[in-house]
Amino acid sequence: MPRNMLTIANRIINQLIRDRRTIGLLVFVPLVIASLVGVSIPDKALLDYIAPAILATLILFFGFLLTGISFLRERSQGTLERLLAAPVSRLDIVGGYLFGFLLFALLQTMIIFFYMVYLLEVSFRGELWQILVFQVLIGIGAVCLGTFFSVFARNEFQMMQFIPLIIVPQIFLCGLLWPVSQMPDYLQWIAKFLPLTYGVDGIRTLMLQGQNLLDIGREVIILAAYAVGLLILAALTLRRGTSA
Amino acid sequence: MNDVAITVKNLVFNFGRLRAVDDLSLEISAGTSFGLLGPNGSGKTTLIRLMVGLLKPASGNISCLGKPPTPSNARNVGYMPQLPALYAELTVQQNIDFFARIYGLRDKKKRTQRVDEVIKLVDLYSKRKTQVMKLSGGMKQRVSLGCAIIHQPPLIFLDEPTVGLDPELRARFWDYFESLTRSGSTIIVSSHTMDDAAHCQKLAFLRGGRVIALGSPAELRAATGTAEATMEDAFLYYIKRGEVKENAA
Ligand SMILES: Nc1ncnc2c1ncn2[C@@H]1O[C@H](COP(=O)(O)OP(=O)(O)OP(=O)(O)O)[C@@H](O)[C@H]1O
Ligand SMILES: [Mg+2]
Repeated sequence: MPRNMLTIANRIINQLIRDRRTIGLLVFVPLVIASLVGVSIPDKALLDYIAPAILATLILFFGFLLTGISFLRERSQGTLERLLAAPVSRLDIVGGYLFGFLLFALLQTMIIFFYMVYLLEVSFRGELWQILVFQVLIGIGAVCLGTFFSVFARNEFQMMQFIPLIIVPQIFLCGLLWPVSQMPDYLQWIAKFLPLTYGVDGIRTLMLQGQNLLDIGREVIILAAYAVGLLILAALTLRRGTSA
Repeated sequence: MNDVAITVKNLVFNFGRLRAVDDLSLEISAGTSFGLLGPNGSGKTTLIRLMVGLLKPASGNISCLGKPPTPSNARNVGYMPQLPALYAELTVQQNIDFFARIYGLRDKKKRTQRVDEVIKLVDLYSKRKTQVMKLSGGMKQRVSLGCAIIHQPPLIFLDEPTVGLDPELRARFWDYFESLTRSGSTIIVSSHTMDDAAHCQKLAFLRGGRVIALGSPAELRAATGTAEATMEDAFLYYIKRGEVKENAA
């Protein structure tokens, strides 16, 4: 792995650790959401249906929001331009962000996972490492999505405005609350293009049906394709000479 | 005559419809300190960003140490932006160490030594464990300088490095800059203050993205025709002369 990528990842981790409130947000908000879901859904079968989907949704949400805002700040405070004046490649920057962020994202996934499985008694028949690998795939897409959209926001408030535009529709259409197959045709058609649909589908299969990553090969490939595509889009926004 | 460190030929850069650098040509000798002087908006920062390779010119040529300003040349270049671009949550030490690593100071022992050396140079040793967000403006400026020179590059661009520094530190910075040029580095400094100008071996007065005068401080002072002319007088003289010419045209 390129050395600069690790240096940048290390910096991101140091920055996040020093930002107590964000760490709190990463750990406690998901627990609150998981608790609300656990308490408000008395039906065990429905809880089993929704809980895995929350894992996938939260990593998309936080991945997008945290990297979006971090990159926005880097752009407006000039640190991105300063870094581009140094001998680093765009891959170093995106890669550094991915490693730095995914570390926290996986930690978050594990916290929610243990909370759901052991305290809320959500059914679980898969293997944890496979869930983590799958979450990484969703996370890569989320980080790159945030990087890409940060170009189009002038401030933090504008970045927040992307949430109802980009994240919320995915939450409603991904099958978190209601199976996609029972939605009207045109919504099913739209859902087919949203990465979270595959994320939720895949993680549900991993958790509930005791299947492995090979069994959900279709979801894995589609999410990997999204990750690669978004990675390229994100890298394109990190060129020298674009931040006039 | 010295080797040439930087050649700029017929450089043009536009921000939309605004021409920020207008057919500008320059040559900067290696191992000298070169000052870019000019009023707000005269194009100093834009010219520096072009020479660092952060902006792509609309037309014209730039050569830094014989190469175009591309990322592959970045290791030879130090850059201090006009506004400090630092990681506010990190400490002084963490910021400078980050750039030390990025610029390839791999050996941990040597790096730590160099980082300490630079922190002492910018007089922030007692603040090395303080988060940058808790520093004063001038202190941030000093951290930013530290990040620019950490890898001892042969070519250093400093965009208004002395703004917000107290007189004692400014004098110390200039002592250090002079030691850098003596050891062969080339320094390009932009500034408003005539005190900085007097320290440079060669100066370019900029206005409207063009060079309106070029020469050593003594030459530029002499051109005003007054024996006791200060740098300030010389600067105003050329600006006035430029306005007269513009009105005549
Ligand atoms: N990001 C930008 N977008 C549009 N116009 C810009 C941008 N940056 C600079 N300009 C314009 O380009 C011109 C040159 O600006 P520049 O920042 O190079 O001036 P400067 O000499 O560094 O000024 P100062 O002494 O205030 O730092 C100005 O007219 C400015 O308005
Ligand atoms: Mg400027």
